[in-house]
Amino acid sequence: MADLLTHLLVPYILLTVASWRVDWLDQRWVVVGMGGAAIPDLVKIGIVLDDSTVEALLGLPFTYAPLSTLGGVLLFAGLITVVFERRHWRRVYGLVTFGGLTSLLLDGLRVYADGRASAWLYPFTNWRPPTPSLYVSSDPTVLVVALLVAGAVAVLDRRIRARD
Amino acid sequence: MYVWVRVVIALSVCLALGGLFVHAEVTEDQWHPYPDAEELAAEYDSYVGQDVMIFGTVTEHSEGGMEIMAESDGTSITLQVTGTETAVEPGGVVQVYGTLEPGQRITAERIEVVNSSRWAELYKYGASVVGALGFLLLFFRYWRLNRDTWTLEARDG
Repeated sequence: MADLLTHLLVPYILLTVASWRVDWLDQRWVVVGMGGAAIPDLVKIGIVLDDSTVEALLGLPFTYAPLSTLGGVLLFAGLITVVFERRHWRRVYGLVTFGGLTSLLLDGLRVYADGRASAWLYPFTNWRPPTPSLYVSSDPTVLVVALLVAGAVAVLDRRIRARD
Repeated sequence: MYVWVRVVIALSVCLALGGLFVHAEVTEDQWHPYPDAEELAAEYDSYVGQDVMIFGTVTEHSEGGMEIMAESDGTSITLQVTGTETAVEPGGVVQVYGTLEPGQRITAERIEVVNSSRWAELYKYGASVVGALGFLLLFFRYWRLNRDTWTLEARDG
């Protein structure tokens, strides 16, 4: 997967541009959407607590892999949502899910040696979509492009807000 | 809304998520069609002749091939990869797609370099740490935890 910073910058770019047309979508909501982009990265918890350790503790088969799938994003977004005030739930859930989806889509574009991305639509389907193999996860070009676009959007956003 | 109602909802979601973690492992063969390192280590011969795609850390590089160490669930296996001119220094990570041969060998059809060296991996994790810290700072600039209701609320109301 792409690095977490790139994952966070993509919804920042998309939601900030959207905020120029949607009145309620201010910076505090953009940040909520960015948070959702981190959900698929939570699969890296395996570095700290390995799947096999959890498996041994529970006595059940176990993998963190669903965290970087559609099912994992939809459920974890629900978990994040209930931490907010009840009146914001619908908005928070939509934004967090959107952020998570942007990360899944971005990861679906990266290189796989057999030409197919992971089954990120799980559990709705086990199908592995074809990937255009645009980048590898450690390619700094992806982050540089994301930073440049995010910087340009931040400057434009500031000008638009100053004008309004 | 009462705190206990939110706790019940959160626990229900955790239960569903836990169910997904178990289901995914049980049905792994259906969404990941290749054997992992643990499966190869346990029953290597039964996979000989099949297509495999495996991630591995390069331990040795030679002309026309490399040696990789693949690891999953705490089990590792060393494999010789042949049929490649791709040069990756030891410590780098590659994806190998090819045919599994007897004697812990893979005839590579395609190799992709995931991390060209240990530094590439450090860069990736470094960028992720910067992202995580930056996000937390940004998030708590706009939101705060209300300790009376145990909810996140906007700082500007």
